[in-house]
Order: sequence, then C-alpha cells, then structure tokens
Amino acid sequence: MQTFNIKIGGEAGQGLVSVGNILLQAITQEGWHLFAHQDYESRIRGGHNFFQIRLADEPVATWEHEIDVLVALDEATVTLGQGELRPGGIVIYDPDVLGDEAKKLVDQPNCFGLPFAKIAQDLGQPKIVANAVAAGAVWALLSEDITVLHQTLEAMFGSKGEKVAAGNQKVASAGFDRVRELAGSRPKPAKPENPGARLLLQGNQALPLGALAAGLKFMSAYPMTPATGVTEYISEHGQEASVVMEQAEDEISAINMAIGASFAGARSMTATSGGGFALMTEALSLAGSAEIPIVVINAMRPGPSTGLPTRTEQGDLRYAAAMSFGDFPRAVLSPGDVEEAFYLMGQAFNLAEEYQMPVVVLSDQHLADSHVTVPPFDLSKVEIRRGKTVSGTEAGPDYLRYKYTEDGISPRLYPGWGEGVVISAGDEHDEEGHLIEDAETRQKMMEKRMAKQKLVEARALEPVLCGADEPDAMLIGFGSTKGAIREAVRILNEGGCKVQGVHLPQVFPLPESLGELLQRPGRKFIVESNYTGQLEELIAARFALKPTGSIRRYDGRPINAQYILDKLRGGVCGGQ
Amino acid sequence: MVASKQTEFTLTKDTAWCPGCGNFGIIRALSQALEGLGLKANEVLYVSGIGQAGKLPHYIKGNVLNTLHGRTLPTATGAKLANGDLHVFAIGGDGDGYAEGGNHFLHAVRKNVNITYLVHDNQVFGLTKGQASPRSDQGMVTGTTPQGVALEAFNPLATAITLNAGFVARSYAGDREHLSRTIQAAIQHEGFALIDILQPCVTFNKINTYQFYSSRVYDLDQEEGYDRTDRQVAWARSFEWGERIPIGIFYQTLRPTLADHYGELLKKPLVKQEHDKNYVAGLIDSYKIG
Repeated sequence: MQTFNIKIGGEAGQGLVSVGNILLQAITQEGWHLFAHQDYESRIRGGHNFFQIRLADEPVATWEHEIDVLVALDEATVTLGQGELRPGGIVIYDPDVLGDEAKKLVDQPNCFGLPFAKIAQDLGQPKIVANAVAAGAVWALLSEDITVLHQTLEAMFGSKGEKVAAGNQKVASAGFDRVRELAGSRPKPAKPENPGARLLLQGNQALPLGALAAGLKFMSAYPMTPATGVTEYISEHGQEASVVMEQAEDEISAINMAIGASFAGARSMTATSGGGFALMTEALSLAGSAEIPIVVINAMRPGPSTGLPTRTEQGDLRYAAAMSFGDFPRAVLSPGDVEEAFYLMGQAFNLAEEYQMPVVVLSDQHLADSHVTVPPFDLSKVEIRRGKTVSGTEAGPDYLRYKYTEDGISPRLYPGWGEGVVISAGDEHDEEGHLIEDAETRQKMMEKRMAKQKLVEARALEPVLCGADEPDAMLIGFGSTKGAIREAVRILNEGGCKVQGVHLPQVFPLPESLGELLQRPGRKFIVESNYTGQLEELIAARFALKPTGSIRRYDGRPINAQYILDKLRGGVCGGQ
Repeated sequence: MVASKQTEFTLTKDTAWCPGCGNFGIIRALSQALEGLGLKANEVLYVSGIGQAGKLPHYIKGNVLNTLHGRTLPTATGAKLANGDLHVFAIGGDGDGYAEGGNHFLHAVRKNVNITYLVHDNQVFGLTKGQASPRSDQGMVTGTTPQGVALEAFNPLATAITLNAGFVARSYAGDREHLSRTIQAAIQHEGFALIDILQPCVTFNKINTYQFYSSRVYDLDQEEGYDRTDRQVAWARSFEWGERIPIGIFYQTLRPTLADHYGELLKKPLVKQEHDKNYVAGLIDSYKIG
C-alpha cells in the first residue's frame, strides 16, 4: 500500500476545515481512497487545530504520524509540525503570518511560501477565497492536471453563483501554478486502478444515516460534543424522512422524551457524550424495568468530568456496560469504522425492540469526526425487525403488557391501537402492569426480564477477525481502534509474523465465541484508549482470562498502527 | 373507595392511599370529566411520576406509563409527539413537578405541548412521610425543616403565566364539580394545560386541611368581569394566597402547539407513518463519488 499524508494546520476560524473539505472531495473524485481525521480545541476562534488527510491506493482506515505535505495557515503549524515531516516532505506556508523565528525554520528548499490571502486579493477575490489557493497549492503535489479540483470547486460553490465558483477556480490555479513552479516535476502518489464508486463521509453522518435506514421515527437530544453532529443531521433531514427530532432542555429530558415516544410505538433514540450519558442513566433503568426499547449513541470523549471535550477516548465502556442501578438486560455495541457504524445502527434498533431494552452504541470523537471513503451502503442489508408485537384485535380487551412467556418477551401493543389498554411501570409490576409488593411476583418478573439477557448473550455479534488464521499473537480491541489494529496486523504479518486482529462490534454481553478464541495458544494484547483497561476487565470478568500485555492510550489522541507497534516493541514475534 | 356502576373509567376499589386522602376527590373528578366527554379508555394515556399522585393511573382505566420521579413531562411530551391521537395526561405531585421536575416544567410550558398536566399539590412530600416541598408555607415544621420552612413557596401559576402558558388553572380536590369542569376545559384546550390542584394531605399536612381550604377558596370562573385572557391581571391574581384563595381558570391563550411547529409531518400520528426508504437511498447517494 502506498500512502500520502497531508496535514493542514491553523487557528480555529481560519478556514482549515474548508481547505480540508475541498481536498477530501477532489481527492476522492480523482480516485484515491482516503482517511481523514481532525484535531481541534474547545474554542471557536484561535488556538491550534489541524485536519489531516491520508490518501492511498488501497482502502485505509487509520492515520499516520508522518506527513508528506504540511500546509501552515498559522505559525504554530510550522513550529509544531516540522518534526512530523517525512524526508522529502514539503511545507507550504503563508509568509505573512510567520514571526522571525518561524521564518528561520522555513528557510529550507522544501518549504514554499505562498501568501494565500494576498494571492487571492491580488486576483480581485475576497480574502475568504484564500482557502482555494491552499487547496490548489496542495493539488500541484498530487496531480499534473487541475481539472478535477476545478470541478470540485464548481460543485461546492456553484450554488453561490458562477462568479464565486469562478473566483475560487482562478485562485486555485494560482496556487497550483506557483507550487508547480517551485517544486518542479515530482512523482505523484499512486492511485488505485479501479476505485469504483465510493461514499465519502464521517462517523457522525454514518450513524444517523444508519438510524434513518433502520426506520428511526423519533429523536430527542441536548447538544454535546462530539455527538452533536448526529443530532444536527437528524434535525436537518427529519422533516423529509418523517422523523421528529426535538431538542430537549437537558439530557434527562432527552432520554425520557425518547422513552415516551418509544412506548407510544415510535423507533426512538438519543445521542450524547459521557456527562450527558451520566444524566440519562436513571431513565435507562426505567427502560429496563418497564421494558421499553431505546437506543442511545454515546460519543465518547476523555473524562473524567468535562475532560478534554473535543478529543477522543474509550473511557465509558465500563460505565455503558454497567449503565445504571439495578439488574436489567442491555447490550452495548461498538462500531469500529464508518461502514460498521451505518450497519450497526440497524442492529441496535432491532436488538432494542426484539428484547425491549436499552441498547448503547459507543462511538467516540475519532470515529465521529473522521472522514473515510467506503463502499456504497447496501440498503437491502438493513433489515427492520420490530420484535414481538400484537395487533389490537389479537390483543383483545384484556391485553397483558407483561405476560409471562417462555422466552421472557411479552408481545407489545402500542397504546391506542386496540381495545385493550397498555399499562407500563418502572415500579415492580404484575403481568397487567399494575404495582405489586409481593415477593413471588417480584422474583418472577425479575427472572422474566433477565431471561432476555441470556438470549441477547447467545446472539451477541461475532468478533470481526483479520490477519492470520492460526496466529502466534492476537491484537484485541473494540470501537475506533479497528483500523489501527488491522493495519498493525498487516504490517507485522508482512514482516513475517503470524498475528490476528480481533475487533469486537459488541462489547456487552461479549460473545461466547470470544472465549473460545482466547483459549487458543499464543500471546494476547488488548488495545484500548483508556487508563484502566476497561475491555480487559470485561474480558477477565467473563472469561477469567488475563492478556499477555495491554496497549493503552489516554492522552486524548487516537491510537494508530505505529502507536501499537511502538508499544509492542518486538514483543509479538522475533524482531518485530 | 366505592365503585358505583360499571363505566368506561371505573375506579379500582383497592388503593394504597390513606383514608380521606385528597387524591380520592381528584380521581373521582377525573373519571367524571372523562365520562362526561365520552372518551374511551384506550384513547387516554396517563403518564405519571413517583409519589402518591403517581399511583393514580393504576386505579382508573386507560393506558399508563408510570415513569420516574419528576420526569412525567418529557415522557408525556415524547408520547404525544409520537401519537397525537392520544389524550395525554401528565400526573404528579408538587414535589415531583416543581422540585425534581422543575426544569422540565419550565420547558414543557415553553414547548406548549398539547397535554393536560395535573399537579396534586398537597404542599408536602407525602410518600416519603411529610418532608417540606417547594409548595410548603413558610414556617411549616417538617422532618427536614425542624426550625420551620425558611424559603418562600414556589408559585406555579405565576411561573406558568410568566412563560405564557396557554391554560393555567387551580382547582380543589374538595370540589369535585369544579375540578371535573376544569379538567374538561383543559382537555379541550389546544396546548399545554396546567391544573394545580389543592389537595389536602390528611396525614402529614395539618395546616392546609379540607377545613382550611373550604373556608377560603372562591371561584374566579364565577367572578363577574374577570378576564382570563388578560395576562397582567391573571399574573397579579396568581399571588393571592391567604384568607381568600382563588380557584378556576386564571389565564387562557391560544398559541401554536409543539406539534404545529412540525407542520405537515405531524398532521398524521408519527407512529402511523411509513418508513421512506427511497429518501434514505437518496441521502446515501448524496455521498457517492466516482
């Protein structure tokens, strides 16, 4: 696999996301696969942020530390980014924003100064169009031909008028020509032979898109980074997709509204991050007791407390698995990438409705904000299963909401759909739904509900494997480490090792087959983005197994393949 | 409680309430109001909280979601948005609604969701045995306020009027006809309707008794010249509390309900709408390149 990495750095509000988005579109259009992640501070203006794009001739699912092109919209990018530059890498900077010290740093033959704003203004364009100068400058290092970039700018700005699109194209050409002149003829990154149609999107688009595909009808939420993208997505498309998205006064209200809507018969969800999830946990216990289906997306960020609001971590796993007070059935899913995020949302709703319980989908900032090219989603693979329900006629006048059944699942009737009434309670109740105090009913109801947990466990999603079939070592992870583990496995195996990657799309309850997999000989390493080893703890609790080693990260930055390899330091096989 | 003839909203004989509890007056008035409007039990949904009031739906016929303490309003809001055909009631006490659920109360009023909110206002926490509530009078001695309640009582009516609630009323558990009439008016009101119900707690509140209220309440609805559409007048009247205590509809105004903001989408109950796969297919295509 050949890769090429572009890092655009600048202050918030300088337009680095605009430069990034132009390049994402054009790079995909030109035929490459890509993975792009973002690193930003909890502020609207200033600070230091970056947008990093990795393009490749094969599908990619993680980022690399080393940079081929560094685009500096501010001084900090020059001072901080130089060390990440690969030998032969290029720096494109704006000399008008650099101080004297930084100017010394770029006094090198591989550093090209382009006064972005000045170039735009000299061509009679507003300062804001400077982003297209930077995009054009980068494009000169990717392609001999600017046509695709021009097409992209037309597609992106055409709606703002012909003049705006033409202005962007004009300044992009200026940046392109300037860098061609300075850089001379260079080999261009390798392209895939037949890339075919691909989707370009990020986790915070794939998750809500998956929910819409799964027949979401109701969402309520309170804004919280990094989950807000999901909420805004459903808000934007709700009317046309026949979905109500109601902004709540707090997370407590958000989850309770969604539970109310679900009780009434609407497929419902909410989305939040750690602190908001904490506020929701009381209601999750209600959903458990009253057997009301509900899906919660928890987009994790580093805690404790407000932590690092815009960075990434997998520190809520233990909390999601434990979820709330009292015993009740639940499931926790953990999509590893954008494609899995889309399909797992359907699974989450089916699980929630078939077993009438809460299901948490663990996302994180890295998955939420990263863009990737993926094969087009196949809607025919999204099956909508609403679980056991009865029509009004079947239910009759004496419907029992919590009727004892062999599998513990009582058929649902939606209130108002039949002659019978639907009685639900979070207090302990009898088959009808009315409150009880006696020990016998309590025990029976508890056993009825918990019988569902056994079914959920028996049906838990299987681990997703990659690499060697009979490995000497395993790298085990969940959620957004999937791509990093996959790449680390590939690199190790290319170096002569026999390593297998084990990604867990469901972390609670864990699938029985994971236990069998872990019984096999060979070293096991658990990879996760948290301090205490929360996945390790869940595995130990379930299978009484301790891994050979733990690879953890908790500095708020995403794990990538190099990080895993550095931590292994040859501990996997031979000199690797 | 003695159930009379079998009706659509027949009441259950066995309850967990104390003999003489104000809740009996409320449940009888509710049953009478629903019967009077000719509603069917399966068209009604009671969303109740936790507290003595929260048990009410278990003693009357209808759909029930007995939820958490303080969370009746968001839960009822979600249910109403999902199925606008249901007549949705939120039912809870003053502790449930004005303490634990205070924030939800403010925003349910703002949202103007088309539900009827019954607050059983007995000015104490009954289920936990008589501690002070946001509605307790200053000076009232309770288990958590041995020196007497220091804080000024919460005024739900003034708060609701300030937020331009569509329907703001007070009634009294000891006047079944008045309460039943007020509940019917609330159901017929398009938008959020609050009825704060003065409810004697015979066990824990020795101040605000039947006798206390019966000698003080007077009906605004019967007062000549009272204009319930005048917000300033209603707001001023909501502070009257002492020798004379007004009951009745203080304020009523029509403004767009929460469902109205969704326009065409909620003209038909959300739960009865088909899933549009074609729209999702189009969205997926919008990300396609190459």
